[in-house]
Formats: sequence, structure tokens, C-alpha cells
Amino acid sequence: MTLQAQASSSFTIGIPSFTSPLGRSRHRFVVRAQVEPSEKAVEIMRKFSEQYARKSGTYFCVDKGVTSVVIKGLADHKDSLGAPLCPCRHYDDKAAEAGQGFWNCPCVPMRERKECHCMLFLTPDNDFAGKEQVISLDEIREATANM
Amino acid sequence: MAVSVSASTIASLNSGLSNRLATSSYSSNLSSSSSLQFPLQLRRVRIGTAGLCSPSGARVLPLVKAKNQTFSSLDDLLSNSDKPVLVDFYATWCGPCQFMAPVLNEVASQLKDKIQVVKIDTEKYPSIADKYRIEALPTFIIFKDGEPCDRFEGALAADQLIQRIENSLKVKQ
Repeated sequence: MTLQAQASSSFTIGIPSFTSPLGRSRHRFVVRAQVEPSEKAVEIMRKFSEQYARKSGTYFCVDKGVTSVVIKGLADHKDSLGAPLCPCRHYDDKAAEAGQGFWNCPCVPMRERKECHCMLFLTPDNDFAGKEQVISLDEIREATANM
Repeated sequence: MAVSVSASTIASLNSGLSNRLATSSYSSNLSSSSSLQFPLQLRRVRIGTAGLCSPSGARVLPLVKAKNQTFSSLDDLLSNSDKPVLVDFYATWCGPCQFMAPVLNEVASQLKDKIQVVKIDTEKYPSIADKYRIEALPTFIIFKDGEPCDRFEGALAADQLIQRIENSLKVKQ
């Protein structure tokens, strides 16, 4: 198996794509992915996130970029697996996990202890918690716009 | 043996950035390499500040050059490294992982002589992620002499990460 890594004295990346100068995108959160989740799924997960934040008394991250990426990750899994499997975990068998349900959003740790390591739903005492429980589709698009 | 190496330059974040998260720029540092990959020897990348320090003494971070290189395995990369290695296991759609991208840039720049930073996409290399029993993302493992010597999960700020790395490297001595 060949491992393709980008090595430097800084860091490397395992996926190929094209680069872009970051100088002019200082305030842009850029995620380059090979496949984007469907707009429909993103909208569903966006609505779900807003509702669930309200219901659980949690708040989105100060940095909405984090929120946006996670929502897209949930949407991506909803598209591919039929269920919004937590995007911030590594799995042996994603389909099996999605069927089993422990890590389907809202996952058991969130439901039981309000623990969301994705930083999607943050309790007010969390350092990273903002004051909002809303996020618009525009915000998500902008935060994850591909260059 | 033909080897393809593509280089990308990443502008480092201003070191004066506070830890406030309001406007951070996230980027996955990606470069294209469409030709065949062959195992090659790790080339040391020197980051110099020649010509980049302003006369007033204000700190200008040098451009961090990242190179696309191919190794036959992570073990290969680890054994070829003359410095300890910080490995970041991430996924594209993991929010905290993307949050860490500029943080890692900052840390790599500040600790450039002490540690090499490597990122592994767990969806592209699931077997490596399995080997190290990665669960939550991001997971960071610090390798010294090819062996894991510290491991932790979750996003953290640059100064916290630097502190953690320095503590780990100290203990090993």
C-alpha cells in the first residue's frame, strides 16, 4: 500500500487536491472535498441542528465554520448511509455503525451527557460556545466554499 | 526512478493572532499529484527566514513549504524522520479537525526544529487509523524514535498544543 503524504517541516496531508495561496483568504474557512453532500441533506441537517440546539439548551461554536463543516459531514453521511453518522469519528464499518445507531446524531453521549466532541452542540460553560442557536444556509455555504 | 513531488506554499498565520475564534481561516492543505507515486527518501525541508524579517523587528512568519511525498507506509515516514513527529488523524468533514488546520500551521512554524507535523486522512488510509485504534477525531499522536509517546483527542488552541508537545518531548529525555 502506498501512503501518499505531504511532508514538510510543518505538516502533511493524505489527500490529493490542488493548492491555492491563502494570503487573500485570511478569513475564509476553506474545505476542499472531492464530493459535496446534497443541498437537501444539508438543509435537513441544518434545521435539525437548530432545533436540537434549542431543545437541548446548547449553542453553536463561536466559530461557525466548525458548525458548518459538521453539518455538511452529517449531511454527507445521511446521503451515503441513510443516517447522520457522527463525522468526527473513525469507524471500522460505517454502514454497520449507522445501522446500530449509537453514533447517529444526536448520539448517545450527547443525549445522555450533552457531550458533543464535534463541537456542534456546546453547553454554555464551554470555552468555545457562542451565543447562537441559528445558522443560515448562506453561512454554511460561505464557510465551506471551495476555491 | 521517476518521482513526483509537488510543492505548495502556505502562508503562515500572523503570530499575533489571539486565540479568539471569531474569524479563523480554515484550510485543508491539499496539493495535486496525479502521477504515479514511488517510494522515495524523505527530503528534509528547511524553512528559513532569510529575507523575511522586517527591519523594524516585527515578527514575520516564513512561508511554510509543504511537499507532497510518497512513502510506502507511515512506518517508513516515521523511521526516516530525524525529529519527533506529531501525527494528526483527521477527516474532511470533521469540524474540529478543520479548526486545527491553521493551528497546526502555527505550531509547526513555531516548533519547526523540534517536531515534524504530519496529517493523515483517516478515510483515505483507514488501515493506518485502524492500526492505531483511532476513534474520535481529531486524534493526535506524538511519535518519538518511531514509537508513540503521547496521544490525545480533540481540538485545542495553539499555545495549549505547543505546551503539550513540549511536555511530551521533555519527559522522553
